[in-house]
Amino acid sequence: MLSLSEPALPGECIRAEKAWKIYDTAKGPVEAVAGVSFSVRRGEFVAILGPSGCGKSTLLMMCGGLEAITAGRISVDGAPIACPRTSIGVMFQESTLLPWKSVLDNVMFPIELLHRPRREHMARARELLSLVGLSGFESHKPHQLSGGMRQRAAICRALVYDPDILLMDEPFSALDAITRDEMNDALLDIWTRYTKTALFVTHSIREAVYLADRVLVMNRRPATIVADIAIPIPRPRDPSVGETKLFNELCSTLRGMIEHSHRAARDVTPYA
Amino acid sequence: MPDATGRERLLTVALPTGTAVAFLAVWQAVATLWAIPAVILPAPSDIVRQLVGSWGELLYQASFTGAEALAACVLSGIVGILVAAMLASSTPLREMLYPNLVAFQLIPKIALAPLFVIWLGIDAPSRLAFSTFISFFPVAIGTLTGLQSTNPNAIRLCQSLTASPSQIFRHVQVPYALPFFFSGMKVAATLSVIGIVVGEFISSKHGLGSYILLAGSRAETARIFAALVVLCVIGLALYGAIAWLELRVRRAWRG
Repeated sequence: MLSLSEPALPGECIRAEKAWKIYDTAKGPVEAVAGVSFSVRRGEFVAILGPSGCGKSTLLMMCGGLEAITAGRISVDGAPIACPRTSIGVMFQESTLLPWKSVLDNVMFPIELLHRPRREHMARARELLSLVGLSGFESHKPHQLSGGMRQRAAICRALVYDPDILLMDEPFSALDAITRDEMNDALLDIWTRYTKTALFVTHSIREAVYLADRVLVMNRRPATIVADIAIPIPRPRDPSVGETKLFNELCSTLRGMIEHSHRAARDVTPYA
Repeated sequence: MPDATGRERLLTVALPTGTAVAFLAVWQAVATLWAIPAVILPAPSDIVRQLVGSWGELLYQASFTGAEALAACVLSGIVGILVAAMLASSTPLREMLYPNLVAFQLIPKIALAPLFVIWLGIDAPSRLAFSTFISFFPVAIGTLTGLQSTNPNAIRLCQSLTASPSQIFRHVQVPYALPFFFSGMKVAATLSVIGIVVGEFISSKHGLGSYILLAGSRAETARIFAALVVLCVIGLALYGAIAWLELRVRRAWRG
């Protein structure tokens, strides 16, 4: 077993209260995030689902302290977030591995930056890599790996310094459908093992339902959360879950909501 | 890069070498068969004879040119890095200076050599300044491009890991910029030799530039060619040294 932290205690972990993000552009202010409120309990897996360009990634980056909050507040572990913290791990859409470093060195990169003890984390890095099926690829360079393998390495990198919270910004959206399903299983596997609090941004309905305990549906105009749907599918989940009636009902409910909010947006803004 | 098979690797060496040998053979044949006067075009064999005959003198002259070209190359590396770091660190400075720097490059800088003689005299400092002035530009532009080409996601990743700006610079921006810096340096290696030779044409009493000029005034064409061969070797050595350095530095910095 890895010596990662204990599964977190129940309680509120992330809380957003009327959070706004307004960009000043040449055409006037643009509301990327318009007064979003939600909360995530410790150990919960929450997906933010929305069409592209709805501001969900911006919202995620605000939760990670990587984007400034224009108005309102977002607290993580009870304290308002103003800058990145080491208790938060971020996964990006691209794997963002450093091309000159080996897979193992990429996974160890946070340890290098954070000046954590190298030897004990080296063992952890190797175990994480073997957990995602990358044993034997430790000394490969990123360009020698497939897209899916690169994202696997990125998962390991996000976990190696044992953050309490994982923020994931459409991490698998650049992958093909089959690889994507594999990655979802790998992610669930890791998540059930360590029960990190997870906030996962996606525009795939099935991905959101398959992974999450709760799905927050985000609208484009205004860029806010319009629904908070619980996903009562028991864990552990495996691909056969996708065939069940409950799963497909949840998917069509969510699809209806997204289409509805889309139509509403189109009615308000003629050129959307 | 795909792994070359033995046959491919042999071809990449054999093809250019074969072409060069064939070229020399044709040259030799044309020069001897048509009995071209050596003062117009000496045969390769004449040049080799000249090389062997005035080996000591050539080596002596090359020591000046080589040392000064090396110094100018190092200087242009330093100046190039400083200029790039300056432009990369400040957006207003970059907006003020970068277009002017590029426009300035349109001046044929060789034509400015006499100015350096007026300003700095006829000794080594004048030649070094002129040669550095000619060669630092590709290093500066290359390094600046490299510093700016850093994957923005990699910077974001570092920020999410609470990295300081200096950590981001050291761990991400510098490694990303290294290949750009070194390709600039390889161009600078060639330019610095040109700069020194032009400087020697104008003002020096020694070095291969003045040697060529003297040989030219006496119509000793084979001597000129022999000096050119030595200049080639100097250029190659500088280039090779930089390629070697690149290998070492990239290995050290990129782990």
